Amino acid sequence: MPDPSTTHGPTPSPLAPARALRLGVCGPVGTGKSSLIALLCRELSERLELGVVTNDIYTDEDARFLRSAGVLDADRIRAVETGACPHTAIRDDITANAMAIEELEEDYEHRLEMVLVESGGDNLTATFSPALVDVQVFVLDVAGGGDVARKGGPGIERADLLVVNKTDLGPFVGVDVPQMVADATAARGDRPVIGLSRTDRDSIDRLLSWVAGRLAEHRAGNLVPIDPGPMAAHSHAHEHPHEHPHAHADTHGGEPVGVHHN
Amino acid sequence: MSGPVHADLVLMLLADARLPVAGHTQSGGLEPGIRDGLGTQDVPAYVDVRLRTVTEVEAATAVLAGRLLRTGAPDAAWLDLEQAWEARTPSPALRDASRRQARALLRIAHRTWPGAPAWTALAALEHPSRAVALGALAGHLGLEGRAVAHLVGYDDVQTVCAAALKLLPLDPGSVVGWVVAALPAVEAMAARASCVLDVDDLPATTHPLIEVWAQAHAATTRRLFHA
Repeated sequence: MPDPSTTHGPTPSPLAPARALRLGVCGPVGTGKSSLIALLCRELSERLELGVVTNDIYTDEDARFLRSAGVLDADRIRAVETGACPHTAIRDDITANAMAIEELEEDYEHRLEMVLVESGGDNLTATFSPALVDVQVFVLDVAGGGDVARKGGPGIERADLLVVNKTDLGPFVGVDVPQMVADATAARGDRPVIGLSRTDRDSIDRLLSWVAGRLAEHRAGNLVPIDPGPMAAHSHAHEHPHEHPHAHADTHGGEPVGVHHN
Repeated sequence: MSGPVHADLVLMLLADARLPVAGHTQSGGLEPGIRDGLGTQDVPAYVDVRLRTVTEVEAATAVLAGRLLRTGAPDAAWLDLEQAWEARTPSPALRDASRRQARALLRIAHRTWPGAPAWTALAALEHPSRAVALGALAGHLGLEGRAVAHLVGYDDVQTVCAAALKLLPLDPGSVVGWVVAALPAVEAMAARASCVLDVDDLPATTHPLIEVWAQAHAATTRRLFHA
């Protein structure tokens, strides 16, 4: 049987078979991971061959939400049980998720272009293994508190994209949204942050533009998975710019102006 | 591996829950059992019943797979063994769970021991069961039948007990006591299973309630464990 783990890693081979971009979405419970995936499906399913793998605490809660949203064929949405170990399933034993992705790809005869993997809602230290996803989005929300972005953590600081979701709720929950986005941006150096609301078309377009950029990199064979890791950042990290294996300016060079929401 | 290592180390590797084979997704049927009324006090008896029924079938099947590998048996013998296991595993949900576990195991095994003769032998089967796949892998790594049977029994006990910690209000220290208390039964089961020399002698100790639970579980929503 083909073993994608040998072709899927930090150094993609030019001979690696074309396979779907694997985009992970993680973040705490209730921040809007499923809604973000529903949004991406709604916006992209007519243009791209999509698949979704969900990991919920109770198997298929998220899968049922997505199926009922009617944004994608139900068969393209697969739920994986994690035995109450959502963190393990995306990090130290990715087997169940990797198998679900492979089965989706096989069932659709390797036509899928992007598979979205939703982690079970977990704590701030949970991030995907780079062996499971090519690129990952960490989702926070305004209603979870304006100070969460400032607390930092691997996903907030180093996921490929940080989404601060539900910006439209700011006035109702007493959160200064521009300040929260500014805190997040400050925690991430030059990595992108998008303040997102389903009522803010401009923010949705910026998200889609970011996804399109990663898909283009993946297709060109230039996308190198970056591990946010669980470790706290070095306090003197900026003294060693070569410590980061990718050049941010190049990796995200195709971004439209304004990805860093202020 | 550059050369043979002591069988103890191989056994520890294969029995270790840190081996990434999605072991955390399995409850050994405990989750549907609890849904149907099993309580904390019933878990040790459940473990024991499994060892005397379904787990003995698994262990004996794995032992025979190792034997087939050592004797260079033809494809037909592997097919016979897989069919004998199927005949003793009537629940489609249990078969599916077993084959998914086999796929997870073989995923890591192919990568870790590429080109092993065991993979050529298993190629006779489209979707091998976990018992056959694990027996072939253990045979490739040089484990004797008794050790393979110990592995299957011990893993089953730990799978149920670890899931119990997730599902029931328990002190982890108490659960270690359950595992230790089950070890003599593991040993007795392994002694029987490792004596099976031929597919015709494979035990047929099924357990209808475990099968019913497995079928019900596969049809429920809101599962924590796959099986």
